[in-house]
Amino acid sequence: MENKQKILVIIPAFNEEGSVGKVVKEVKEHLPQIDILVVNDGSSDPTSEKAKEAGAVVLDLPFNLGIGGAMQAGYKYAFEKGYEIAIQVDGDGQHDPKEIPKLLRALEEKEVDMVIGTRFIGDSEFKSSMMRRVGISIFSRVISLIVGQKITDPTSGFRAVNRKAIQLFAFDYPQDYPEPEVFVLLYKCGLKVAEVPIGMSKRYAGESSITKLRSIYYMVKVLLAIFVDCFKKHSF
Amino acid sequence: MLIKIQLFIGALSIILLIITFELIRKEKLREEYSLLWLFTGAVILVFSIWPEYFLSRFFSQITGIFYLSAVVLLAFMFLLLIVFHFSVVISKLTDLNKELAQRHALLELEFREFKNCHPQSKNPLNQNG
Repeated sequence: MENKQKILVIIPAFNEEGSVGKVVKEVKEHLPQIDILVVNDGSSDPTSEKAKEAGAVVLDLPFNLGIGGAMQAGYKYAFEKGYEIAIQVDGDGQHDPKEIPKLLRALEEKEVDMVIGTRFIGDSEFKSSMMRRVGISIFSRVISLIVGQKITDPTSGFRAVNRKAIQLFAFDYPQDYPEPEVFVLLYKCGLKVAEVPIGMSKRYAGESSITKLRSIYYMVKVLLAIFVDCFKKHSF
Repeated sequence: MLIKIQLFIGALSIILLIITFELIRKEKLREEYSLLWLFTGAVILVFSIWPEYFLSRFFSQITGIFYLSAVVLLAFMFLLLIVFHFSVVISKLTDLNKELAQRHALLELEFREFKNCHPQSKNPLNQNG
């Protein structure tokens, strides 16, 4: 069933030369029938070359747009090329490509428009700093309250979406903090979301984009953005 | 004292109007933005010509502040309006800029793939060679 559908893996990468090639190769290894698009978000290092060497199609943005702009570019590509399913996998290697079939199965079986790989529920053994855990649990509560559905890990960047969501994202995608904000967008547009537990591997290279000192500042900004999203108009 | 301030502000508004006109004439300032500046210049000019009517009597009586303070307050409000207008314009430009960057990247990829599929065909960018 999966082989006949057009599936695209979108890997956003900003200065990830150390890991992006490895991620691409791993996805190829586990899912040889799936197309891979690396969105190079204006990297100053040879991320683009490394991704091409590994055999991915590379979309080179002329300058850094941030994760929101980069992912939307990927969704635009998926929409225009007629892909049925798009999967987001981070370029730093924290997501295990072995878990992709889990997402695909859930997308089909649960009949939802987006499936996110959650690091906390079920058999996952994800460990992180106290600050991050507290932050994620606050986001989780706020978003669950807004959308009326339990979302355990709203910051997870490991997700699969169907054609309907690809179309929505190609035209309207949150720019600043897309991972948590997207739930409000989907809720307002009447699209459904499900979570599946996944295992996580450690980051191959690079640091988390959120350092300890900035995490409180980040949290306030994201909560503000989510609050504003509740009053935004969306036409879909 | 009042006449000196009047003259100063009057001259200032006329200079502002002249600069605005000149920039529109040279097409260095878009009409869209110039309207706000022309309006600002005109309002300041009116205030400097008839300060008694607009400020000393009417405005000062209802707010209880003096002419100069009233002018400063009005100027501040105008600047606030202009800065706010610019924030809206910059937000729109940022969004358009993002769309343009994404479209550019998608077209570049399309072009690269096309070139790979047709290695014999000449590069249309340097056909003269």
